[in-house]
Amino acid sequence: MLEIDRLEFRYPEQTTPWHFHFQVEAGECLAIQGPSGSGKSTLLSLIAGFLQPEAGRVLWQGQPIHKTKPWQRPITSVFQEHNLFEHLDVLTNIGLGIHPGVKLAAADQQRIDSALAKAGLDGFGNRMPGELSGGQRQRVALLRAILRQQPILLLDEPMTGLDMDTRQVLYAMLNDEKARGATLLLVSHDEEDRRTLADRHWNL
Amino acid sequence: MTDSVANTPHRTPFSHSGWQIWPGLLLGLGLVVLVLMGIGSLLATAGNLDFEAVFSSKYLRRVIGFTVWQASLSVVLSLLIAIPVARAMARYQRFPGRRWLLRLMELSLVLPTIVAVSGLIGVYGRQGWFTALLNEGLPGHGWSLYGLNGILLAHVFFNGPLAARIMLQALEAIPAPRMRAASQLGLSGWWLWRAVQWPALKPVLPGLAALVFTLCFTSFAIIMTLGGGPSATTLEVAIYQALRFEFDFSQAALLAIIQLLICGGLWWLVFRQRINTSLMPNRQLGYQAPLFCQVWQPWLEGALLIGFALFLVVPLLAIALRGLPVLLPLSDTPSVYPQLLSATGRSLMIAIPAGVGSVVVALLSLASANRLRGHWQGVLPTLTGYLPLIVPPLVLGTGLFILLRPSLGNSAQGWMLVSLINGLMAVPFVIQVLQGPLSGMDANTLRQADQLGIFGWYRWRWLYWPQLRQPMALALAYGTALSLGDFGVIALFGSPGQPTLPVLLYQQLGSYRVAEAAGTGLWLLLLLITVFTSLSRVSRPAAVTAPASLSQLAPEAGHA
Repeated sequence: MLEIDRLEFRYPEQTTPWHFHFQVEAGECLAIQGPSGSGKSTLLSLIAGFLQPEAGRVLWQGQPIHKTKPWQRPITSVFQEHNLFEHLDVLTNIGLGIHPGVKLAAADQQRIDSALAKAGLDGFGNRMPGELSGGQRQRVALLRAILRQQPILLLDEPMTGLDMDTRQVLYAMLNDEKARGATLLLVSHDEEDRRTLADRHWNL
Repeated sequence: MTDSVANTPHRTPFSHSGWQIWPGLLLGLGLVVLVLMGIGSLLATAGNLDFEAVFSSKYLRRVIGFTVWQASLSVVLSLLIAIPVARAMARYQRFPGRRWLLRLMELSLVLPTIVAVSGLIGVYGRQGWFTALLNEGLPGHGWSLYGLNGILLAHVFFNGPLAARIMLQALEAIPAPRMRAASQLGLSGWWLWRAVQWPALKPVLPGLAALVFTLCFTSFAIIMTLGGGPSATTLEVAIYQALRFEFDFSQAALLAIIQLLICGGLWWLVFRQRINTSLMPNRQLGYQAPLFCQVWQPWLEGALLIGFALFLVVPLLAIALRGLPVLLPLSDTPSVYPQLLSATGRSLMIAIPAGVGSVVVALLSLASANRLRGHWQGVLPTLTGYLPLIVPPLVLGTGLFILLRPSLGNSAQGWMLVSLINGLMAVPFVIQVLQGPLSGMDANTLRQADQLGIFGWYRWRWLYWPQLRQPMALALAYGTALSLGDFGVIALFGSPGQPTLPVLLYQQLGSYRVAEAAGTGLWLLLLLITVFTSLSRVSRPAAVTAPASLSQLAPEAGHA
């Protein structure tokens, strides 16, 4: 279970801090709702460790993780854009998710290949992100996130601007992850995204 | 374009697009004509042009060779120092003194070469601190500041921080999600460099390298003071010698043409690659993510930053410590103030008009270049931003001097000439400051302004002025400071009896009046700091109220 325990944060120019307090079960998808500027993306950044909270804790399976570094947390984030490293090809981009020095075993190589094929990206391994469409890039980003096999996925508007067909593919990939037991936190403006993926809502 | 719009009830002053196009175009044209006339008048005075003589002359071949060699080495060294410094500064967003280090790095652009040189002599010269330490620890080391050593040291002192600053800005402009992905994946070392940092730096490197190369190639005051003889002479110094001592106009013109060809060719290469030449991406820093690092890394990078800060600070400290007793009236030596104050007066008389002129020229050129983007005429106003970098100011000045000679009666006219050329020389740097804010106006704001019929003077007054008044004050400070520190042009036209501050400093250094030189150096430094702080104070209060009035016009402006 992921517990957000009385987390507090404010930007330097902000007078009253934001408060966050909720729990998500493993295998559950929680949609976070609220008007823009209400701190949705900030919340995800706090959980991922990109920002430091003023007070409060983040616990995973009862263990506090809010003091650890981003790369030490059992978390993978997918953003709306700029997920990929533009100057590296698709294989390397995904490989970096498995090992930060792209030291891949043969089995890893195979996993990447079959995952690419499953996502309809067969033969795209040597392409550069710039040669892909927006939907293809998001599929690669999500593949990298999934192949990292971390138990928590933070999704910050991952479908925004994508067409319906691409969304269906991404929905299927994410639902598979949920079935596998992954915990999902979703920030999305889109009704359809939330209805398809979320089990529960939490309002800011 | 506005007159045909039905719902534009008012006739806006200066709303015709010609007001944006023609002044910049004419200025660019004027500059090109000025350069051609400068070289032309040299050639006309000289009679004929003999390229063969240049290449058969051993001396000139060596000058050209040395100029290219020292400039290339300076580029390599500056970039080698700048890259790790920029990486470390990008990684550590919060450490005590970071802001001061940044200020110090910015100072290098406007620090008068002659002042910096006096500081470097105070540290690395024969009686310098560093040399004293070296004598203690390593007797018989054979270190001498004069010659290639000193030239490279001074060039790195100036261009290392400039390069690091520009690279840091490029690194800070990396989209936050990408940095966060790198953070989460735990990238470090080679892969961090390859996946994130190198792609961010690659677009600015060619322009940056070309800029540093050009600045070192055309370096004058540093070579004059630290070169230490004919074996270490650059083209710019050779031109000066040909003009001032040998009166060999044809040689000066030839050397100037060679310089133009080499530097012009370099910039042409940079432009042909369609590489982003904007050196100061005007990006505000977001909230960056922490990056994976080895245990030893903070120590190593901390030591690097401390070393770099010392490298920049110690020469300034040398100036301050040696200059202070001279400036304070406690000492029993005769007061230096009569000399200092009259030199300050002369310097300001030249520098303030030069600064104002450079800002006006830069704005008009930018407006015209923006307006003419995509047209061939657009080349002319764009040239204004680069030509002064590569044209030897001495050539420009001499050409004008020969042209105007019959009417140049007194020194006041000479100073006007110096002021004009100083202003032109500052334009490329001023443009870099203003370019970002001016072209950073977002498309939504402009579309709304179009719809509301805000054109011409009103657009300037309500959209650009609030955004630009702070950058303009900074640009004015740059322009004024560059002219305050000018030594090249004034060396040619000034009379030794009526020195400006840099000339006075040069004279004092030349006659080994080290203490007085330190006093003058400190004075000039304080003057620069005064210029910068007073101009930033003038522009600050308005900048607070400006966004409010802007947001009434265009809600999106806040994101610009």
